[in-house]
Amino acid sequence: MDWKQLWQILSAPDNIPIVAMIPLLAFYIFLAWRQAHANDVLIEQLAGDPALAKTHHRKAWPFKPGWQKEVHVWPFLLRVEFLAAIIVTIILMVWSITLNAPLEEPANPNLTMNPAKVPWYFLGLQEMLVYFDPWIAGVVMPTLIIIGLMVIPYIDTNPLGCGYYTWKQRKFAIGTFLFGFIILWVSMIFIGTFIRGPGWQWFWPGQTWDHNRLIYEVNRDLPDIFGITSNWAKGVFGAIVVGGYFTLGGLAVNAFFRRHNAKDFKRMSLLQYSIMMTFFLTMVALPIKMGLRLLFHIKYVWITPWFNV
Amino acid sequence: MPEKPIPENDPIVSKSLAPHYVISMVILMATLFWALWDEDFGQRPWKAFQHEWKDRYSTFLKNARTQSRESQKEIEGSADYQKLKQDYEAASQNAAPRIKEINEKLHDLGAKILAVQNVFTDRRAYVNASTYDIETETSPSAKQRKQRNLDEYKKEPSTVEMPDGKKQTFKSFDELEETYNDLKNERTQLSAELGELIKPVNEKKELMDSYLTDHMVNLTPSQLTNLQNGVEALTPKIRQINVSEHNADIVREDSSNIVDRCESCHMGIREPVNLTATSMALKGKKPDEYARAFTSHPERDLLKIHDPDKFGCSPCHQGNGRATTSVEKAHGTYEHWLWPIFPRGNFEAGCQICHAADIVLVSNDVGWALSEGKDLFRQRGCMGCHRYEGYDKEPEDLLSIGQEIKLLEQQKKDNLKQATDFMQQADKAESNDEANRLNDRAVALKVTNSKLDLRIVQLDRTTKSLLQDLKKVGPNLKDVRLKLNRNWIPVWLKKPTDFRATTKMPNFRLNDEQIKAISAYIWQSGLKDSLPKHKPGNAAHGKELVESRGCLACHSLGEGGQLQGGTFAANLTRVGEKANYDYLVRWVHNARERTRPFCPYEKKDIGPEDYKKKGLPFVYDLDHSKCPNDGHELQVQNMTVMPSLRLSIPDAEDIASYLITLKKMEPSAYTDASFMDDPNLKDEGKKWIRNFGCAGCHEISGLEDEGRIGTELTAEGSKPVERLDFALLTEVAQRGGHEPITDAEDLARLPEGPAKEPWYDHKGFFEHKLAEPNIWDKGKIKPEIEKLRMPNLHLTKEQIRSLTTFLLGSQENPLPPNFQYRPLDYRRDIQEGWWVVKKYNCMGCHQLIPGQKTILMGMARYQEAQEQLPPKLLTEGARVDPEWMLRFLKNPALNDKDTNRNGVRSYLQVRMPTFSFSENELGKLVRFFQALSRQPFPYIPEEVPMLTAKETEMARSLFSSTAAPCLKCHATGDPAHDRVATAPNFLQARGRLKPDWMERWMIDPQAISPGTSMPSGLFRRENNHWVFSGPIPSSFQGYDKDHTRLLVDYILQLTAEEQRRVAAAMGRARAAADSPSFGGSNGTGKAGRAGIK
Repeated sequence: MDWKQLWQILSAPDNIPIVAMIPLLAFYIFLAWRQAHANDVLIEQLAGDPALAKTHHRKAWPFKPGWQKEVHVWPFLLRVEFLAAIIVTIILMVWSITLNAPLEEPANPNLTMNPAKVPWYFLGLQEMLVYFDPWIAGVVMPTLIIIGLMVIPYIDTNPLGCGYYTWKQRKFAIGTFLFGFIILWVSMIFIGTFIRGPGWQWFWPGQTWDHNRLIYEVNRDLPDIFGITSNWAKGVFGAIVVGGYFTLGGLAVNAFFRRHNAKDFKRMSLLQYSIMMTFFLTMVALPIKMGLRLLFHIKYVWITPWFNV
Repeated sequence: MPEKPIPENDPIVSKSLAPHYVISMVILMATLFWALWDEDFGQRPWKAFQHEWKDRYSTFLKNARTQSRESQKEIEGSADYQKLKQDYEAASQNAAPRIKEINEKLHDLGAKILAVQNVFTDRRAYVNASTYDIETETSPSAKQRKQRNLDEYKKEPSTVEMPDGKKQTFKSFDELEETYNDLKNERTQLSAELGELIKPVNEKKELMDSYLTDHMVNLTPSQLTNLQNGVEALTPKIRQINVSEHNADIVREDSSNIVDRCESCHMGIREPVNLTATSMALKGKKPDEYARAFTSHPERDLLKIHDPDKFGCSPCHQGNGRATTSVEKAHGTYEHWLWPIFPRGNFEAGCQICHAADIVLVSNDVGWALSEGKDLFRQRGCMGCHRYEGYDKEPEDLLSIGQEIKLLEQQKKDNLKQATDFMQQADKAESNDEANRLNDRAVALKVTNSKLDLRIVQLDRTTKSLLQDLKKVGPNLKDVRLKLNRNWIPVWLKKPTDFRATTKMPNFRLNDEQIKAISAYIWQSGLKDSLPKHKPGNAAHGKELVESRGCLACHSLGEGGQLQGGTFAANLTRVGEKANYDYLVRWVHNARERTRPFCPYEKKDIGPEDYKKKGLPFVYDLDHSKCPNDGHELQVQNMTVMPSLRLSIPDAEDIASYLITLKKMEPSAYTDASFMDDPNLKDEGKKWIRNFGCAGCHEISGLEDEGRIGTELTAEGSKPVERLDFALLTEVAQRGGHEPITDAEDLARLPEGPAKEPWYDHKGFFEHKLAEPNIWDKGKIKPEIEKLRMPNLHLTKEQIRSLTTFLLGSQENPLPPNFQYRPLDYRRDIQEGWWVVKKYNCMGCHQLIPGQKTILMGMARYQEAQEQLPPKLLTEGARVDPEWMLRFLKNPALNDKDTNRNGVRSYLQVRMPTFSFSENELGKLVRFFQALSRQPFPYIPEEVPMLTAKETEMARSLFSSTAAPCLKCHATGDPAHDRVATAPNFLQARGRLKPDWMERWMIDPQAISPGTSMPSGLFRRENNHWVFSGPIPSSFQGYDKDHTRLLVDYILQLTAEEQRRVAAAMGRARAAADSPSFGGSNGTGKAGRAGIK
């Protein structure tokens, strides 16, 4: 274990937000889960007792006479928010006194730094470049992510679970969020920060980032494994595989929805459903591609003169 | 949650957040104060420095003032000062009554003026305003009316209350104005008179004060008080140098990098007192961080040349001149600053950044690490493998000249063809005019061609010069068969330092196969000519010659502690084991003599057969240097700096006979190395020779045009550290704490000892690389041919420090171009000259810088015979005529036939050798010496007036005066006398010496050449003239000119006959007096041994 190296990475001013982010995420997920669980219990209780449900309360506690049904924003919400603002101000001030901006030497166009890393919030995008060609990873995917976030309100037909924490009422939405944000985005930032060393090679935490390290790793394209050589055939083969993935994946999701999420499925129009399906499958494609690349050394699946997937 | 009891009241409504708010607000306020503190002090540590400075410097000045007062009292007690003081007091007493009177008057006047002024200015303001009103009035009637009003106003009387209380009435405005002006005039006159009175008094006072300042070693108390007042009034602020503000030559964008705030902490740098760390330490404590920061600049002279206002600090020292937040930031010793401050041991690296074109930085540079590094780079042959701008320029120049010649020749051909075309067109032209025009153009082209021809001739001459200037660090290996004991070669290659510890040849870490192959190639490619046989000489005489002729200025004898002589050239202790006698004779006689000339055009050694083909005799020297095959310039000399001492063949035989006796074992005892004749090894050998770049330092057959194998080092110091390949040691260097060099000898070479701190920087790289050049191969698995090739130069700690300093300063200049020291005036001649001087080790024999020690000075032989040392060249340019110097440098014998002698100083045993300087280097040397003495160039000789018979007689009497018998020490050409003479013949003065210099020399030779045996004090100053100090001959009665000048003119007109006559007369006089033996002691004693050098 190279503790010194590990400490250098953990303590770099650049990496402070990421080091802080990991426990914070865990804490807030735990907090949200606890609230959601309490609510779910309450929901169950209320569902079993329609009388109580009529006066059902805003809190995770059962009805209590004398308690107001609703409270005002001022002062009851704002005083908490203001407290939070003070605490955040303190944190920011201490941070800015103790840690200067991590500036480096003037850029030298003749000498690229190694590893050259983007700011932490872009590390996920940079990591994606390992798995897709720049056109897909740098342009198409970010656009899809933004559009995907934008369409959520339009394809979300579930009327339940708004304004309070719950798991049971929004399993699909929350599950997708946890998968897409925590598993995909945060873990890619984590990989980009702690795992990727010189030459963008994979170093396990505690392994020395040796600039002279050489590794033997040959990546192939999927068509190569099947012995396809002609460019035409490669294009067609890739299209079939990708098309196959979307078809089969679509069918599998469809089956899943019908069985486990029938209510939502019924509420959605065909347009809403297919948009949701496209984005969902695209999102799932990313970890699949990562697995292919990291475990089976497969570089691209679909090769065309214009883009590679 | 169900498990938890439900509270009575709604917590959201009922719970108080006050404690949370209190705690948060307290923390927030604390943070705010922290931020304020950080802003004011945390980010401004220099404030602490300035407060500390104020206290400590103030204390220091107080102490200094006490001391200064004492020494002031001492000076004030001196008679001179007392006299000045009396003068001052007398003058001030004289002037005092009148001054008092005037001052009183002025005082009264001032009060009066003030009184009148009050009323006057008020009335004048009204008059002026009314006048303006009238001027701008358009209606004539109104104008008249207003004019009338004004006139009336002016006529009104006004009353002024005078200072004495009386009231004075003025009849009109005009009267008031007149009085006012009169009073003012009176005051001006009185002030002028007062100034006149005070002036002489002040002058006296100034004399007194300046006497005090001049005679105080340190500052005077009043100066110190001024300083202290300044310190006490100090308020903390950034002290900043904006280089562009102070240096108009620098365009703003150029200097954008140079803003230096170093003096915000280093407050003492420019103070006029000498501050050391100890003097700035707190009482009874060791110097701390502050004390060390407050010292004054250790090299005040350097600061005078490089005014910090114009140069700043960081251009020399590097570091981050703008940063003020911490010591580390300001010094730039953190990861991201590319120009960290030069380390303590290598601070001179800063000089190299601008002085890259100098090999000797400043004319009084003695013992600078950087100069040492620059010398080493050349002497150790670093430039054989590494290109470095300025070093070893000849091959590149040759190449570019060759290309230029080719280009010109092509141009000539084109011109000729075009001219022919024009002529043909002219023949067919329709009109006469047209034909004439074409013919003219043809003629013009032919004229152009003749100009081109001249240019080519010029370039050919330069080529010749360059071929002559081209030197290699190592010997010519084409001669191995003639020169060496064959069996010795493999032993030598194994580890040269085992045979000769001080050799320049580095250790190449060759394995046995490589040694075999390399020696086989060298042996088989060597020239197979034969040398003329020589009979054995007298070794004892040879030894005497080696020791007396000056060989040891460059060469050394003896090993270890016994070593005597210079390290510029080889140690000769074991030369008998390796060398052939006949070759040694030729080498000693003339080292430049080549076995075969080399034609750089054909790339082959030209032999007698080539000459025979053209029916030419096999003669090649500097005058016969054209190739018989193609007419190109040949390399006719060995590329060695070893000069010819113009010894006779028998002398050379004696020396060689002596050298051949220098050995520790018999040459025959070496193991047989007949494998060197194995032709199968030749190709393998060539491969390795090429790989190791042997041809960088040696001339080797078949490898004459090999390029340099190493990386260029001109800007090595500014290479990003990532480009320096620490290989597997990168992490080790970055973390420190572990020294990878394990070899004890190599470890001892590290200037800072084994690494403790991280050493991942340029300094660490250079030092480790120089200590153990293959260090970066450590742990690597590589085939033999890919291993690092740099040999171990067996350098000492100090040498590595010097070279590291040199390399650290070798930077692509980050400064504006006008920081570069590239002078165009006489200083350029000095700059260029030093390269030649150092190239031939002139300083082994001659002193060129006051205080510089020559090799010969250190030798036992000369301790008792200082006059036998070669002359000092401290003012050579002022002393001799440049034309003469050129002649002398070409042939120091100053004689074409009898060359086995010294041209000027026949009495010296040590010999000024013939260096065969090229025209180029001759010019550089002559200009160098002239420039060093700031002589105008070209030199126009002074007209020497013809002396009248009377003057000649007077001069002669002075010349032969018994108080200063010139001819007693100066040579006369009489062999009997010259044996004991210790100074040059006067007959050589004409055409050689400059009259002005001769005069100065006679007056004070010690000032020109410290330690000379020419006596000082021969003349004294009397009535603004130099007169003879001894008994003045009677003929001088009434002569009111300089005696020195007369003597100089006489000497410059001296003829051989006259000199003989005087000498004979002196000889008679002495014989009549006391001592019968010539050259015994005389009246002037020991100092009487004169020596115009």
